[in-house]
Amino acid sequence: MKNILMRAENLSKSYQMGEVTVKALDNISLEIFEEEFVVILGPSGSGKSTLLNILGGMDSPSEGRVFVGNEEITNYNDRKLTGYRRDSVGFVFQFYNLMANLTAKENVELATEICKGALDIDEVMEEVGLGERKDHFPSQMSGGEQQRVAIARAVAKNPLILLCDEPTGALDFKTGILILSLLHKINRTLKKTVIIITHNMAIGDMADRVIKMRSGKIIEVKENLHPISPERIEW
Amino acid sequence: MKKLDLRLLRMIKTTKGQFISITVIIAAALCIYMLFGMTNVNIRNTVDFYYDLTNINDIQVQLIRIPQGALKEINTIEGIKEVQGRISFDVPLSVQNKDEKVSVRIISLPSDGEKINKLYYMNGKDSAVDSDSVILLEQFAKARNIRPGDVIAPYINGREHKLNVSAIAASPEFIYLMENDQSLMPANEKFGVAYVNEAFAQSLYGYRGSYNEVLITLEKGSNIDDVVEVIEKKLDKYGVKRIIKLEDQLSNNVLTQKMDGIEQMAAAIPVMFLGVASIIISIMLSRIVNNDRMAIGVLKAMGYGNIGVLSHYIKYSLMIGMTGSIIGILGGLLLSRPFTNIFVLYFNIPVIRMEIYYSYMIKAILLTSMFCIASGLFGAKSVIRIMPADSLRPEAPKSGKRILLERMGFVWHRLSFSWKMVIRNIARTKRRFILLVFGLALTYAINTVPLYEGVAIPQMFNLQYGVYQKMDYAIDFTHPMSKSVMVDLKKLIDVEHMEAKIEYPFKLTNGWRERNVFIIGVPQDTSFYEFRDSSQRTVSLEPNRIFITKALSKTLNVQQGDTLKIKNFLPGKKDVEVEIGGVIEQYMGVNAYMEIETMERLLTEKNLITGVTLASQDQIKDKLKDVKNIASINSVADMKTAFLEFLDTMILATRLYLLFGGVLGFAIIYNSTIVGISERNMEFASLRILGFDKNDIFWMITRENALMALAAILVGIPMGMGIIKGFAESFSSEVITFPIILSAEIFITAAVATVFFVSIAQLAAYKKIHSLNFIDALKSRIS
Repeated sequence: MKNILMRAENLSKSYQMGEVTVKALDNISLEIFEEEFVVILGPSGSGKSTLLNILGGMDSPSEGRVFVGNEEITNYNDRKLTGYRRDSVGFVFQFYNLMANLTAKENVELATEICKGALDIDEVMEEVGLGERKDHFPSQMSGGEQQRVAIARAVAKNPLILLCDEPTGALDFKTGILILSLLHKINRTLKKTVIIITHNMAIGDMADRVIKMRSGKIIEVKENLHPISPERIEW
Repeated sequence: MKKLDLRLLRMIKTTKGQFISITVIIAAALCIYMLFGMTNVNIRNTVDFYYDLTNINDIQVQLIRIPQGALKEINTIEGIKEVQGRISFDVPLSVQNKDEKVSVRIISLPSDGEKINKLYYMNGKDSAVDSDSVILLEQFAKARNIRPGDVIAPYINGREHKLNVSAIAASPEFIYLMENDQSLMPANEKFGVAYVNEAFAQSLYGYRGSYNEVLITLEKGSNIDDVVEVIEKKLDKYGVKRIIKLEDQLSNNVLTQKMDGIEQMAAAIPVMFLGVASIIISIMLSRIVNNDRMAIGVLKAMGYGNIGVLSHYIKYSLMIGMTGSIIGILGGLLLSRPFTNIFVLYFNIPVIRMEIYYSYMIKAILLTSMFCIASGLFGAKSVIRIMPADSLRPEAPKSGKRILLERMGFVWHRLSFSWKMVIRNIARTKRRFILLVFGLALTYAINTVPLYEGVAIPQMFNLQYGVYQKMDYAIDFTHPMSKSVMVDLKKLIDVEHMEAKIEYPFKLTNGWRERNVFIIGVPQDTSFYEFRDSSQRTVSLEPNRIFITKALSKTLNVQQGDTLKIKNFLPGKKDVEVEIGGVIEQYMGVNAYMEIETMERLLTEKNLITGVTLASQDQIKDKLKDVKNIASINSVADMKTAFLEFLDTMILATRLYLLFGGVLGFAIIYNSTIVGISERNMEFASLRILGFDKNDIFWMITRENALMALAAILVGIPMGMGIIKGFAESFSSEVITFPIILSAEIFITAAVATVFFVSIAQLAAYKKIHSLNFIDALKSRIS
């Protein structure tokens, strides 16, 4: 029996856009297990980013509750939510979002400075394959390298869960695969729960579980009994 | 170092142009604050120390004659500590150049040692005076290059006395050496003070065993006004002419006014500067925060709280504040000693009390921190509203509403595409535009001040000496003389026209308000004086009425039709009440006027005059130099020179205004332009792709700034009017009145100056635009 890490109950989220109300999430419930590798699949506008943001404490639902362990984060105030993001969540974004005027290593330190129990930065940098490039600024790095810095930044905090929003979306195929391998390695060796959201169906093949979304609803949850290694994925 | 702080330092490095331009403003503000603040305290302390050292009098009484023995009687008055009598009279000094009219005040030193207003000897040693030697006042000795051992020759009672200068000394009474209330400023080479042996002084004018001046010091805690009242009654029989409290004593009064001016500068200018710097900082920060939206989102996603992120940006503002403070404080410290020295020299104080007041440093830092934190909070407060999830999505386009102007099709359709973009862009960022316009309007308003001064001073000149007073010369006699001397004078010189004049000091009172002034009696049909009210309507002199200047009417709180009591110090004359016939404009000096016959009847003696005014092309000074009984001859040219010199410190202050106004305008435009450019990188990049070149973009920004300058000038006109009014009022005193002049010339020239400063900043922006790579902006999304 796998342990539940996170549980979402009847999540709904609506945005007011002028005079129209847009329903981004429509009564979603799901569970995320410890050490699991989850891929949330869906076209743009399906609500997957909104779901990820709510799970990561970056946004709050209009209705429904989210539990991490036994704690309900949806009734956290701003300060506690900040603390949750600080200590429990690592984010990886599509466009890396590194601080331009900090070096690779400093970008990672920026995140670890404020959290408890951070990992050794140099080790993490080695782990993501940037041992030699850690003193470079983002503008001196390729997209793949920048994304590896972003992953190192998320991992070095030693979070409970890694939330990745289209981590390969801005990368070419080969680099994309390298990034997926890195996330896979982190999941397997560091035992971190990883959630990737993407519209790229092929990535689903490497996941333990694939959650498909459309129009704010979960339309299918598929257990992958034999996930393939990232190197074998093609798109 | 915290990585967020490292990011801050690197952010400062990339925005160094803006950082420096605001830092300079703050540094200037604090330098002025420290400099003027400490100088003010140092000068005040120096003056206090000097006054203590020399035991300055609290009260001076001028009387016709008081026997030496009566001093003991004064000493018994409650509250009085010490009393000292002396002889004092003004006499002409014979000098090499016969055209020069120089006078000295002969003052006796007590035979039993000085107690009050002790002289400060420049060589450190006391010096005694006998019947053929004098001690000369330092300023005068310096100005005329007279040294101990030299001989001076005053004319006393029609005879030249040769006196040896035995020593040079300074006196606390004459820090600011001026002959009388009517002098506007010191003319050290024209008027001096010579201290002589008491017996010698008494023998000269027949004052044996008596004095004509009494110096008094008070016990601590006694009420000066009560004492003055008692003295007035007790000494009435000795013919009290004037009782002068230290605060009204000429030198002390001018000194206090100058120190107050410095204090005001220390308070007003820094606050104004910091205010403008705050506006720029908050605009700059709000733009930086806007640019950093994504970075802020990432920081929040990583777990940085609102306070952490907000303080990151406020630190930027504080860094500017602290850097500016340090430079400003250092500048203030370095300059304060020479600055105080200059003032002490300028005021002729032989001692100096100079300290560094660290409290000013602390105040300066606190003041700056307050402004910087406030402006930082104001500028960066939108950080709090940025939700991490929202910020990671590209910002939704600003709502592209139609603006008011677009509804006016007639105008709108005639505008080019670029102008439409410019106007829409302004309409979209209204609040920021308003702040910038306000800052620039302030610059414009500051620029109007020196221009106003340029118009006002010549006008004051022309009115005062071309309209209000048209005589060529004013002659004062050593003592009142019969009107018949006018006939004698006319024999000596060619005169086109001559009028009699009576000029005497009286005390005017209205309830508890009182003021010692000279009342001038002039013929009813005078052609030398023209009196006008504040609307420039002619006021004609009527018998049995008194006419007072506007400044005096304010001091005494009276208007036309009210009654004033005139206290008469002349022996045997009673106090009278006279109705005010009119309030008149006069830019220089504080006086009251009366028709001469009324004055003779009510206040003075029939047929006696104290001087004449005249129009003449003759060599008056030359021809009258040897004439007995003439105390002074003033030409209008002398007065004009004095007038200009009187205004020297004010002119300097306004020049500083202009310079600072320019710096402010530059900083505002430079900063807003640079931030505007980086903020709109994307937009400009898209325009480049559409085929716009760098110059097109530069012109677009120029158009925005031009519109802003135009709006600022429109707003600045009423602001300038306000500042001019405030300036005229704050620089006007009893002695000098600045008219409020709001001519088109001032406002047009200020507009040209503002456009000039804005253009310089535009050039810097031009450089920046050419160094930016717009195409990169489209490719990267690194925050």
